[in-house]
Amino acid sequence: MSVGTAAQSAAGPAGALDAERGAAGAGGLPPGFGVDVAGAALALARRFAHGGTLWCFAPAWPAHAHHVAVEFVHPVVVGTRALPAVAVSAEAGVAGLRTLCRAGDALVVVASSEEPAARRALARAPAWGLTTIWIGAGPRPAPGAADHVLWWEGEVPSQAAHTGRFVLSYHLLWELTHVCFEHPGLLEEPQVCSGPACVTCGDEGRLVEVLRLGEGGAVLVRAATGLEWADASLVEGVSPGSLVLVHAGSVLTVLAEGSGE
Amino acid sequence: MSAPGGTGFLYPFLDAAERDAGPLLEDLARSAEAKAAESAALRANVLAASEDELSAVGLAMATRFDAGGRLLAMGNGGSSTDAASLVTLFGDPPAGRPLPARSLADDLAVLTALGNDVGFEVVFLRQVIAQVEPSDMVVGFSTSGGSKNLLLAFDEACERGCLTVGLAGYQGGQMAVSPSVQHCFVVPSQSIHRIQETQAALSWRLWEVVQAALRPLGPS
Repeated sequence: MSVGTAAQSAAGPAGALDAERGAAGAGGLPPGFGVDVAGAALALARRFAHGGTLWCFAPAWPAHAHHVAVEFVHPVVVGTRALPAVAVSAEAGVAGLRTLCRAGDALVVVASSEEPAARRALARAPAWGLTTIWIGAGPRPAPGAADHVLWWEGEVPSQAAHTGRFVLSYHLLWELTHVCFEHPGLLEEPQVCSGPACVTCGDEGRLVEVLRLGEGGAVLVRAATGLEWADASLVEGVSPGSLVLVHAGSVLTVLAEGSGE
Repeated sequence: MSAPGGTGFLYPFLDAAERDAGPLLEDLARSAEAKAAESAALRANVLAASEDELSAVGLAMATRFDAGGRLLAMGNGGSSTDAASLVTLFGDPPAGRPLPARSLADDLAVLTALGNDVGFEVVFLRQVIAQVEPSDMVVGFSTSGGSKNLLLAFDEACERGCLTVGLAGYQGGQMAVSPSVQHCFVVPSQSIHRIQETQAALSWRLWEVVQAALRPLGPS
């Protein structure tokens, strides 16, 4: 078949693809998206530069997780290097991610803000030491739900998943991440002060995820450094899945209720 | 510093000293806007130019679905994920009627068995031989239009009386000229990324046409 030229482009088909004219600027990106994807790309490049792996999770649309991973692992542009990225299947889910990821890795999630497994993964990611990027559409996630949010706010998630919005989003993320590698001086992580440590024990309050309740108030937790035991006898309401603050081996506060999973 | 395996050795003058990320972030944001604009223009052009053929193909597919036909999608790499997205759209749609659709890249046992024992060129062909019926539809995604395993599967599917639809990029490659690809939608771009973004939009439009053309369901 023949293909179009710019002169023929006036009449587009109706439906979801035309929604962009109302929701987004002339270039087709929602306002602020360019700045957001730039920040996400630099953060991701920094994680790669320091040996991090990118975990890709799209529980409702697993094909997107696979597309992101293959994009980084087997780049289509000659001369760009292969980077460690892995799709986590919907079946493996949060449990698989928890076992596989390491502090310093990154997690990209493609999901609506309502998707339960995506929310569970992203809520736990800070405890695991991950930098997070959330690509989605529809109502925006709550502030702080991910480090970087690349969002198509005016669109229906189940449509944006199939009209090319998400594909464009992670293509841009890939393209910009590789530009960052041309700026090695900027790949050093900025030094972030994590606040003063305890004057008595030198430890700080660490966010961890409770996995299992043990004997005598002990709980098995997933911290950024891996699995460890902590003492939860000082607080009420700790259950599997809870996000808690641990200091000097003791649970001090429950920040989020467990799902009982 | 220079990241291990980085490109710093090519640009020693860029190394080390750069500390202010502000200018880079501004460049990246502008670049994202420009790429998105290019993507949107390409999509609009191709959709407008393809509308007549999309309507014809969608009508033919609806007729086949009404008669019990099934959609089989295929692709390699990122294109296999685009094929999987098409399958999800047809099989578990956000609106309208779910239709029988599956990806020929889905079954890892079949894929690795054929790839290991025979060769990767036949991973789709052998499945078409084993499973496809004349009423079925075979849709293949290839940005180059030259994927050998797709072309072989298209030949067999066409021979068996299936409807065959290709989505290609660049100038369409072999898929654009193969008589076994009855309908080939070519996205004329040199960028695999931009091609795939428009192929997603073509898939969506095709699904819309099919849904609108299905025969209304009567009482059972």
